[in-house]
Amino acid sequence: MFAHIFIYRLKCLLRDKETIFWTLLFPLLLAVFFNIAFANLNKGEIFKAIDIAIVDDVNYQSNQYFKTALNEASQGDDRLFNLTVASKEKADQLLINNSISGYIVVENPINLVVNRSGLNPNIIKSFIDNYMQTVSSVNSILLADPAKQQELLSSLGNRQQYIKEISGTAAEPNNILNYFYTLIAMACFYGGFLGMREITDIQADISPLAARINVAPVHKLKTIISSMSASLLIHLTEMLLLLIFLRFVLQVDFGSKIGFVILTTVIGSIAGVTFGALISALVKKSEGIKVAILIGVTMFGSFLAGMMYQNMKYIVAQKIPVLSYLNPVNLLTDAFYCLYYYDTFSRYALNMGILSIFIVIFCVGTYSIIRRRKYASL
Amino acid sequence: MIIEVNNLVKRYGDLTAVDHLSLAVNDGEVFGLLGPNGSGKTTTINCILSLLEYDQGEIEIFGQPMTPESYNIKRDIGIVMQNVAVYNELTVYENIDYFCGLYIPNNKLRKKLVLEAIDFVGLDEYSKFYPKKLSGGLLRRLNIACGIAHKPKLIILDEPTVAVDPQSRNKILEGILELNRQGATIIYTSHYMEEVEHICSRIMILDKGKAIATGTNGELKAMINMGEKITVQSNYMSAEQLAKISQLPNIVSAEHNSPLLVIKSSRGTNNLETVLDFIKKERIQHSKIYSELPTLNDVFLELTGKELRD
Repeated sequence: MFAHIFIYRLKCLLRDKETIFWTLLFPLLLAVFFNIAFANLNKGEIFKAIDIAIVDDVNYQSNQYFKTALNEASQGDDRLFNLTVASKEKADQLLINNSISGYIVVENPINLVVNRSGLNPNIIKSFIDNYMQTVSSVNSILLADPAKQQELLSSLGNRQQYIKEISGTAAEPNNILNYFYTLIAMACFYGGFLGMREITDIQADISPLAARINVAPVHKLKTIISSMSASLLIHLTEMLLLLIFLRFVLQVDFGSKIGFVILTTVIGSIAGVTFGALISALVKKSEGIKVAILIGVTMFGSFLAGMMYQNMKYIVAQKIPVLSYLNPVNLLTDAFYCLYYYDTFSRYALNMGILSIFIVIFCVGTYSIIRRRKYASL
Repeated sequence: MIIEVNNLVKRYGDLTAVDHLSLAVNDGEVFGLLGPNGSGKTTTINCILSLLEYDQGEIEIFGQPMTPESYNIKRDIGIVMQNVAVYNELTVYENIDYFCGLYIPNNKLRKKLVLEAIDFVGLDEYSKFYPKKLSGGLLRRLNIACGIAHKPKLIILDEPTVAVDPQSRNKILEGILELNRQGATIIYTSHYMEEVEHICSRIMILDKGKAIATGTNGELKAMINMGEKITVQSNYMSAEQLAKISQLPNIVSAEHNSPLLVIKSSRGTNNLETVLDFIKKERIQHSKIYSELPTLNDVFLELTGKELRD
């Protein structure tokens, strides 16, 4: 009996074009769209030398130390600035034309002229502050002990770091990965379309087809296990295809823990299918309303997980941290994120543990609703 | 006794859909449940099948109480729902095979039964068609095939001919009689009195969830006073003439709504001859005259005061 129901459910679901669209084609299309839209996102992270100008006047020409420091910062491949030496009028003109981020006037103190705040003016200001602090330190030391002049001058170029940065990961930072991880999580929860259909086809108060199945001499649990197995097999296959497409066609990096990535996808798929089953059992409305609820909840969850705006994930984690753990789409997204960035598994295990609790809730909730043998109305 | 229902009550809030209904279906009969839409036919069937919770009553099938877990009973029941209940993604053959497979685990036997069912409903040419490609009538036939392929002892057909063309309807009705001849007990619900009169050996008339009469076609018609209905096509008739007709022997009522004069007579002989003599004597202009025996609609009308067709 299991094989009979299982095989026919496979046939039914594979021939259901609408379900296949939402569970396979839509995530694939969205992945292609993401790939096109986010292609240049990582390039924004590469540092580009800042265009600045220095007002060429007597003060500048006479301040050899600053002149040297500025020239050093404007040379080489990893230079900080693209420097233009210009008159004040020319520097003003360049600033108005947005050709430079700011210009420096050597006065006492050294002034920075900008027309808006932002990262580049902050970097220029930091450079100037750093220079002024160094000059001030040197003057203080020389005033206290003029004999140290030679030693001080020779050590000026040697900068000592007292704080050591230790990276928690060997993975390269990547701004677009989270978008693809939310996409996989969304695709997992679109498996709800399959779970939803299974329940619709077994609840006599939802469809006449289900009423016919309910009068057959087959235990409901046996029917639902056979049907859900077929749904899960199809969805897992679809998810595997999506992963293959992302990895080998779009070159999305999943890190080195591929086995765990697949395990996460399997758990995500089970969560998605059972989630759809719960919605179908819970909502006694038309199929259209159920589909709308499934899409709405999944997309809202994806939004909070950072699908449309990456920082949303961090905003939620900061402002309403509990929501991060109550959003199964975010749990999945974060699990992929952990597998990519972290060498330890504690955060990953927490995500998977909570997601597993969700799966148990979805299954128990669904069965407690559909196990009833008779209906109050049909 | 195949089915025995005692004192069944089903309420939806304040509405009593089935009101203290009792019925008994004997082995080998075609039992009709006749009533207008909303009279409680489908609700009764759903209660019998243990799909619906009910407020009161006992239901036994094959001498055993019917519950949702009565798999031994369910194995011998075939159900044809009012709404077509098939998978759009499966072909005609696959649909019948799927539902038959829920009853018959043996593959070889199932294949034989499926082919027989396809042949029975005349869908041989369409076995590889998907339901969306079938006309309404063919779809209904598929719906029936899915319910009867496993050769059940009891077949319940809930309005199987709704929205079906006359050709398919005749095919379906003949098929039902054939199933009965092959030994199946049939419960047939409909609001089409002609169908019920045609195929049912015993009929229960339902109205507002209550059984208002049960019996064979003849027994039901014998319950009412009317023995004959004589219709005369006549454009003009005076009130005096109409009153005289009403006073003729055995005449119960006479109503003239131009151009039809409808005369209802009680049981008796020569009623038509009496009316003809009167028309001739009074020189009433007329075209057609015809006489009909009472229908189930007349039975329903007399028992409830309203038309069954309403």
